[in-house]
Amino acid sequence: MSEPLFILNQVSFSYNKIPALKNVNLTINCGECISIIGANGTGKSTLLNLLDALIFPTGGTVTAFGSLLTEKELNNFEKQRMFRRRVGFVFQNPDIQLFCPTVRDDILFGVLHLEVEKREIEKRFEHVVELMKITHLLKRSPHQLSIGEKKKAAIASVLIIEPDVLLLDEPTAGLDPQTTRDIIDILFKAHRNGKTVVMATHDLHLAEEISDTVHVFGSEHNIIRSGTVEEVLSDQQFLQKNNLMHIHVHRHLHGAHIHPHIHH
Amino acid sequence: MGKGKNYKRAGFIQKTILDTVSLFKETICNEKIAFQNGFLQNVDPRAKSFCAAIMLIVVLTARSSVEVGLIYAVTVLLASISSIRLSFYLKRTLLFVPLFSFLIIIPSIFNFVTPGEPVLQLTFLKLHFAITRQGIDSAILFFLRVLSSVSIVILLVLTTPSHTLLKVLRLFRVPQLFVMTIGMTYRYIFLLLDNIQNTYSAIKSRIGFVNSTGKGRKIVGATIAGLWLKSYRLQSQVYNAMISRGYTGEPKIMDELKIGRTDIIIIIFTILSLAGTLCLNHFLY
Repeated sequence: MSEPLFILNQVSFSYNKIPALKNVNLTINCGECISIIGANGTGKSTLLNLLDALIFPTGGTVTAFGSLLTEKELNNFEKQRMFRRRVGFVFQNPDIQLFCPTVRDDILFGVLHLEVEKREIEKRFEHVVELMKITHLLKRSPHQLSIGEKKKAAIASVLIIEPDVLLLDEPTAGLDPQTTRDIIDILFKAHRNGKTVVMATHDLHLAEEISDTVHVFGSEHNIIRSGTVEEVLSDQQFLQKNNLMHIHVHRHLHGAHIHPHIHH
Repeated sequence: MGKGKNYKRAGFIQKTILDTVSLFKETICNEKIAFQNGFLQNVDPRAKSFCAAIMLIVVLTARSSVEVGLIYAVTVLLASISSIRLSFYLKRTLLFVPLFSFLIIIPSIFNFVTPGEPVLQLTFLKLHFAITRQGIDSAILFFLRVLSSVSIVILLVLTTPSHTLLKVLRLFRVPQLFVMTIGMTYRYIFLLLDNIQNTYSAIKSRIGFVNSTGKGRKIVGATIAGLWLKSYRLQSQVYNAMISRGYTGEPKIMDELKIGRTDIIIIIFTILSLAGTLCLNHFLY
């Protein structure tokens, strides 16, 4: 078996003394599809920021691709570029990820800065635009797009880099059913093509559909349970206790009733 | 009557906020013209920026109003052959520039700032003063200089995509930190504008329209602090998103820059304009 891509050992992180992660141990292997689930504010997004080396742990260590991931390490221009080529991050809010005048410029931003060869850029650009079905959006300004279109453009801007590891923060949050389906299909394809996918989500349906492993974050900002999708998502009592599922009245065709269930 | 007055006040605050946002979006963020097919859009951005810089020197060194006026006429001609609507261009140059420059030049037409041959004698509170011919001449020259300089910069910005312009600044050895700051400001301004609009909508949805100017001012004042904090967070998020995709502060562009025959002709013409102006200054003044 190949070496793990990421190893987190007793990782902690605080924002101005307010803890966001506490003693997290996690190993991410090549080709895995991992869902990080947990209630709001448990540290899921912070974990993704750490994996993308946008922040660095205040305690513990992160090893990426066999070497220690530190700020000092990434101050080396070549190492930084190699890391960015291998790890792509789709942020929860597509607005912060789309900062260029046109969608085309935004998609090209990453590959140009990572100094991919021009012909290769053109090839990848055509492929990714076709895959995301966004040809009609290329000349438009990102701030004129709908949330679903923005999300697709943001994913395209990361997929064009062809990273080994794809980090996604709430990839389907706030999207309509069709766009959600399109994005699930794209993630499926990426995973089938050998990409390692790590996503933070509240959407248990999404986690159930595409991931192999689930890590659950608890209110103490640590991983309280890890396991296969079937194992974790079938424990309804555990999910309910951790705000991932709730009992409520809902309507069926022949009337309303109460029972706990996972949303589909 | 009272209702009408209040309505007008609420409309004033709403109009000020929304019009400021839309003005910024239209003038700063609109890059449609830069991607159209026009004369200046086809000129190499390096040649265009170089010529713009030289023309600014020409405008600043020229001592004749006719010469500076001619330069403005040339910018109007260039705008019209570069797919820029004339009304759009004239509005941006002729309406905004006088607004700022008039305030500065009005005192200079009087004899207590520019002494000379009086054209019109005036008396105010037993004080006698006059408008001088030299004062009028220097005011006209100043106004035309401001008008032409702003027009040259507007033409450059309108016909060049922002990221290409940043690349050119780096090619001209403008420090990376400076270029990076401009780039970040440009990117972040979209989000800030949306934030302002959303904050205003949120206030409006909770309290309806503001029925007094004082109350309106208080609300706007209170939200400014919140907006600054939000902006700060937003700015660091945008920066992170850029870093995440390999940004190092050095602007990169897809299209290769090539100097063609037209570019060389334009550069020669611009240099000749500068030489001509310097000669005129030397021999005529």
